[in-house]
Amino acid sequence: MTPGEVLRRLRAWARRGQLDRELAREMDAHVDLLTRDLEAEGLAPEVARAAARRQVGNVTGLRERSRDAWGFPALESVLHDVRYAIRGLAHAPGFAATVIVTLGLGIGANAAMFAVIDRLMFRPPAFLHDPPTVHTVYLQITLPNGVQTSSTMPYTRYLDLAQRTRSFSQLAATSEWRLAVGRGLETRVRKVAGVSASLFGFFDARPVRGRFFGESEDQVPLGALVAVISEAMWRTTFGARDMTGESLRIGSLDYTIIGVFPEGFTGTTSGGAPDVFVPVTTIPPNLRQSVDDYDTAYNWDWIVVVARRAAGVSAAAATADLSQAYRGSRAAQRATNPRVLADSVAHPRALAGPLKDAAGPDPGAESRVLLWVSGVALIVLLIACANVANLMLARVMHRRREIAVRLALGVSRARLVGQFVIESVLLATFGVLAGLLIAQWGGAAIRTLLLPQGSGFNLATDWRTISIAGLCALVAALLTTVAPAVLATRSDPAADLKAGTREGSYRHSPLRTALLVLQGTMSVVLLVGAGLFVRSLANVLDIRLGYDAAPVVEVITDLRGQELDDAGMIALRRRLLESAERIPGAVAVATANSQLFRTSTTTLRVAGIDSVARLGRFNVQIVTVGYFLVMQTRILRGRGFQETRPGGVPEVVVSQAMARVLWPGVDPIGQCMQVAWDNVPETLAPCTMVVGVAEDVAQQGITDEARFLYYLNADQMSAFFNARRFIVRMPGARIEADVERVRRAMQAAMPGDGFVVVRPLQEIVDDNRRSWRLGATLFVAFGGLALAVAAIGLYGAIGYGVTQRMHELAMRTALGAQRGHIMGLVMLQGLRVGAAVVVLGLVIAAAAAPFIEPLLYKESPHDPVVFVSVGALMMLVALVAGLPPARRALTADPNRVLRSD
Amino acid sequence: MPDDPAPLLAGTLDLLILKTLSAGSFHGYGIAQHIKRLSKDALRVEEGSLYPALQRMQVKGWIASEWKRSPTGREARYYRLTAAGRRQLGEEQSTFERSVAATVRVLRSSDT
Repeated sequence: MTPGEVLRRLRAWARRGQLDRELAREMDAHVDLLTRDLEAEGLAPEVARAAARRQVGNVTGLRERSRDAWGFPALESVLHDVRYAIRGLAHAPGFAATVIVTLGLGIGANAAMFAVIDRLMFRPPAFLHDPPTVHTVYLQITLPNGVQTSSTMPYTRYLDLAQRTRSFSQLAATSEWRLAVGRGLETRVRKVAGVSASLFGFFDARPVRGRFFGESEDQVPLGALVAVISEAMWRTTFGARDMTGESLRIGSLDYTIIGVFPEGFTGTTSGGAPDVFVPVTTIPPNLRQSVDDYDTAYNWDWIVVVARRAAGVSAAAATADLSQAYRGSRAAQRATNPRVLADSVAHPRALAGPLKDAAGPDPGAESRVLLWVSGVALIVLLIACANVANLMLARVMHRRREIAVRLALGVSRARLVGQFVIESVLLATFGVLAGLLIAQWGGAAIRTLLLPQGSGFNLATDWRTISIAGLCALVAALLTTVAPAVLATRSDPAADLKAGTREGSYRHSPLRTALLVLQGTMSVVLLVGAGLFVRSLANVLDIRLGYDAAPVVEVITDLRGQELDDAGMIALRRRLLESAERIPGAVAVATANSQLFRTSTTTLRVAGIDSVARLGRFNVQIVTVGYFLVMQTRILRGRGFQETRPGGVPEVVVSQAMARVLWPGVDPIGQCMQVAWDNVPETLAPCTMVVGVAEDVAQQGITDEARFLYYLNADQMSAFFNARRFIVRMPGARIEADVERVRRAMQAAMPGDGFVVVRPLQEIVDDNRRSWRLGATLFVAFGGLALAVAAIGLYGAIGYGVTQRMHELAMRTALGAQRGHIMGLVMLQGLRVGAAVVVLGLVIAAAAAPFIEPLLYKESPHDPVVFVSVGALMMLVALVAGLPPARRALTADPNRVLRSD
Repeated sequence: MPDDPAPLLAGTLDLLILKTLSAGSFHGYGIAQHIKRLSKDALRVEEGSLYPALQRMQVKGWIASEWKRSPTGREARYYRLTAAGRRQLGEEQSTFERSVAATVRVLRSSDT
């Protein structure tokens, strides 16, 4: 068909009513003309008209055939089938609703998971030009104890890679920070991206106002103090006025605003968009870190390198090129620091890997859990499909006579199958809509759990997710049509027409049983997974942390570049501690140099031990006296710290595990150790004396086993340790209100532009448990979903079986069968399927479970408690699903059943 | 009028209609009469094939139609050839002639 013809057909189709009337008129005219000619040949008028009509023949058929020229007959037959399918479904609203909801759950689960995974791992950032050629650079060294992967590196390394590689057309250095932005009351902690000027070249984005910064403004050692702010910040903070050229305090420096970047532009940062972009070369001066040597030394990993392959360079070639450059860079580093491991030991490699860290070579437990859960979502979809296929089979059997009648009337089997396909596609289409609604609203929990705040999540405009949902629906439609279609076309109309329900009373359908067993088995496997994750989470929650973080508020102070000497810092610390103590509700306050799950370490010597370092990593925590009280870490022997002044014999409190390994079988109290900490004379004293033993705490990580930790008293040191962290114990009921109270009190005590960030300590603990909680939550959610779907399927199958056998059961009752016997007959059907499902499911689960072992904590993948409970649960479901049908069979009146039909 | 008009060869109806309309505009009945007359009553166009063909050819854009009053005063739909129809006629005619000539050659050879 040419486009012109399609257009004319469309026009004809639109005017088909008028065309039909014109055709009728034309026929009349034809008959008139023919009559006139016949009259002229000598026939009588009446005879002539009759002869003319006879010759023209069946006018209706003629008009029908003419109509075929207009519009699209094939399409119209499809539309006819669609109307037929809609009518059929409208007559079975319960069936349609069950199918749509079941498919919706399966599709919704997948859409929600895909939307999350896509955002975390695959979807390239907005505006990025030619995403497949853009990589993040990962550095790897392989030691005997495993591969260490890092995506951060020193700025010097970035310069080396840029200089020593030939495979890339573009290379950029990026870093992300949370810095105080603004002055006075308007100060907020914001996400600041420190990037090289080359980053903007990766994107097709244009500034909304002003410009981005260029190479000349991004020079070592100090780049130009210029900033590009977000459109959102421009609108809310600056009221969308022209503010280029104005000054903005970011961190400890004043920047000049030169432009506004468009909404949706995130650079290559993960998660939400930054508020500000500044030249990467202004970051070290801003943080006052390695200001003099950040472009020559290798001791600070803070840069993520993004690279674009040059045309014609493969990813493998780029990786090879990067690796040789990395080896060269390590050689240069070795010239300044001989301790850098030789290539023969470390096997260094640099990879041109996926842009998103979560898809990179070392994605972390959370991403691995997510991938597993996506697999689970797929299984849920399969279960839903099995269930729907089963329902459709039941429907086909139910409609066997209708189908037989239609076959007998000459409907082609192909047309019949076509109608099944159309019905399936129709149901799947509604399933997609239901699924997207479920994913949008029901998936809210998954989203807040997984995605960084502020990331957009509107599935109505998310074409990638909609396409995936559509694909799921297509697969579902195909999977669910095959069996019913085959069954329908194999049917023998003659036999089916002859058989009433009486003869066709009850037939086993092995296909339906297989589908039931399939979905039940998959549910059992998922439930075992859920059980393992739940038990693993329980184990994690059971770990003795050695502290009670729940009522503790953490305060991190930021002086924003104000320089104070040691004495001044110590005075400030005292002032902050005092103002914290005065907060109503605060029972104890302290400082500590290491945040939870971060550690510091230094060289340690103990008399009688050759090398302490060989025993493990010993972390040091420098605290003020209130620390043990705030954290509720118990002192097991000796005492904690006391109020004191600098000087005197330095004191140390050691963890129980540390005492045990350093002084086995000896009373650790009164023992000496030597702490070598540069620039702090007190720590170099020949004897830092153990005054107490504290219980072991989870400082390095929640699940780490080695808990070697020692505490030094900050008050004994004249030098100031960068104690920016304060902790306040607020045993009140509402931590949110406490947080705000603490923020106000501490903020008031900060000098100049100083700034405090306050949050509940428990958040940090929860963040660390997240991957376990995530696995448990999602597995339980999907496992429960699968169980519900399987239960519905089982219930439906048994119920259908009862309906089919009603006659037989009534006959048995009439012949005097016991109630218990009838009940047993019905229930046995469910229990038989249940038993098959439990055996099969547990065997498969036992084979598959070892694969998730690395994601579990202290949980055997063959935990008998889990396996037995899941088996019992499934049998219970099989039993309960059989109850209502059994009741129906018992309460039916045999008289009425036998007389009906 | 011979008792037994020959049936139309498959695929020639379009060609005959196009050829007829190349001589001027006709209504449906007129087309049938014209073909009958020129073929000396040897070919008869069935109404049941004629009107569907006319509809189809209109959608193809080969012919166009308008309602006009016939010389006898009766309203009738008159068809005429479009430029595309004229091109189509040329193509179909040459295809037909080549095909007939070839067919005839085959038939003759089988005579020998």
